[in-house]
Amino acid sequence: MSESIKRICTLTGRSVKEIIRDPISIVFLIGLPLAMEILFYLIFHSMTDQFEMKYLAPGIVVFSQAFISLFSGLLISLDRAGSFLVRLFVSKAKPYEFIFGYALALFPIAIVQSILFFVVGGIIDSSLWSVGMIYGILISMVTAIFFGGAGILLGSVCNEKSVGGVASVIIAGQSMLSGMWFPTQGMSKSFLTFMRVLPFKNATMLVQNALNGVNDVFDDFLFPLIIVLAYTATIFIAAIVCFGKKMKNL
Amino acid sequence: MEAIKTTDLRKEYKDTVAVKSLNLEVHEGELFSLLGVNGAGKTTTVKMLTGLSKPTAGDALICGFSVVRELDRIKPLVDVSMQETAVARNLTVEENIDFCAALAGKSKSVVAEVKKNLYDIFGFESIKNKRAAKLSGGWQRKLSIALALVSSPKVLFLDEPTLGLDVIARRELWKLIRGLHGEMTIVLTTHYMEEAEALSDRLGVMKDGELLFVGTIEQMYKKTGCSNVEDAFVKIVEGGDSLE
Repeated sequence: MSESIKRICTLTGRSVKEIIRDPISIVFLIGLPLAMEILFYLIFHSMTDQFEMKYLAPGIVVFSQAFISLFSGLLISLDRAGSFLVRLFVSKAKPYEFIFGYALALFPIAIVQSILFFVVGGIIDSSLWSVGMIYGILISMVTAIFFGGAGILLGSVCNEKSVGGVASVIIAGQSMLSGMWFPTQGMSKSFLTFMRVLPFKNATMLVQNALNGVNDVFDDFLFPLIIVLAYTATIFIAAIVCFGKKMKNL
Repeated sequence: MEAIKTTDLRKEYKDTVAVKSLNLEVHEGELFSLLGVNGAGKTTTVKMLTGLSKPTAGDALICGFSVVRELDRIKPLVDVSMQETAVARNLTVEENIDFCAALAGKSKSVVAEVKKNLYDIFGFESIKNKRAAKLSGGWQRKLSIALALVSSPKVLFLDEPTLGLDVIARRELWKLIRGLHGEMTIVLTTHYMEEAEALSDRLGVMKDGELLFVGTIEQMYKKTGCSNVEDAFVKIVEGGDSLE
């Protein structure tokens, strides 16, 4: 294994430990979404299609990923505040290794979230057990990269006090603009268009449609995928630029 | 060979000059203290010498390698403990050491030896499984300094190592720093005059980015006519160039 890969693994392992050992992060990354999945299904599934498990479970997976942006942002901003980043910068590690170290940490967390919420969904509603569940888990890694990138960007530009507030905008955006908590039928066309050019509804649609299958490949899968990837690329480029600037202005 | 040799080292920010043409030599194995009031340019100097910040002009050689052209050669030779505690909060003491050792590319056998040494020097054995966030401020600072030693640097920079610590913790850290003396070159920045007096072989006084004095404490007394470091420091800083 090259020295660079070893360092990336070391940085990733550390980031994962920092996040999962914080009890608050477990509450928000796992506990809260899990409670919402079970309770919302039990309370609302008989009232509206919106809360059928085939829509709710993938929606919860993406919703839970929004918290990754909060906790990875918090980790980076705290590393900056406490001079831990300075320690890392003095080491032999290269700037791109830091970005990988923070970004790759989201995968084990996102995989656990995705498998857990799909499996719980499958236990509650056995119709979820299909090859679509594997597609759903796989495609949810794409949406996880978007939220991880958002976290790195937030951690690079916000301090430890403001990162929570700004991340809550992303969480609220995922909650309010994903269309998972309320039916979108009857909404104005302009608002629907607004939702479709933002990443939140597209991210949710992408995982829902990976699980449930698509009618129109472009509309139901490719379009949301392109939107999510475009936001992911933009946000990662911005994160790399901002992180690089912070490194230069220590 | 000089451990550090700077030549007209300069750092400018948008509308300020943080360090003005610094010319300084620190001998190998020496404990050199850099004194100065807030904004004197001490931390900026440390940042340039550790490769954290690029000089606007001039150069510095660390063990013969240029910070401008040979940063990759310098990185394995230096480490720093900044004034804010720099530890991984949710990692244990042992994991923090393992983490820094892995980043420094140390082999397992070397890490075991480094760990044993650090446990002996800093007394970490009883707290090695405690998470850094659960440690007192004094222990966190000790760990922060210990982590700077993991890479076995030839030149160690300690930026305000005892800032904010109580008197007992400060004295303990002095003891530790004295123990490192001679094993490596140490550059210490501090606001505490008694700290500089207790630890340094030589010291430098900076003000507004300029080095006003370099020498031993005795030379400082001789130059200023004072009999304690604090008075001598004040006289140099307030007197500026008029002292000859």
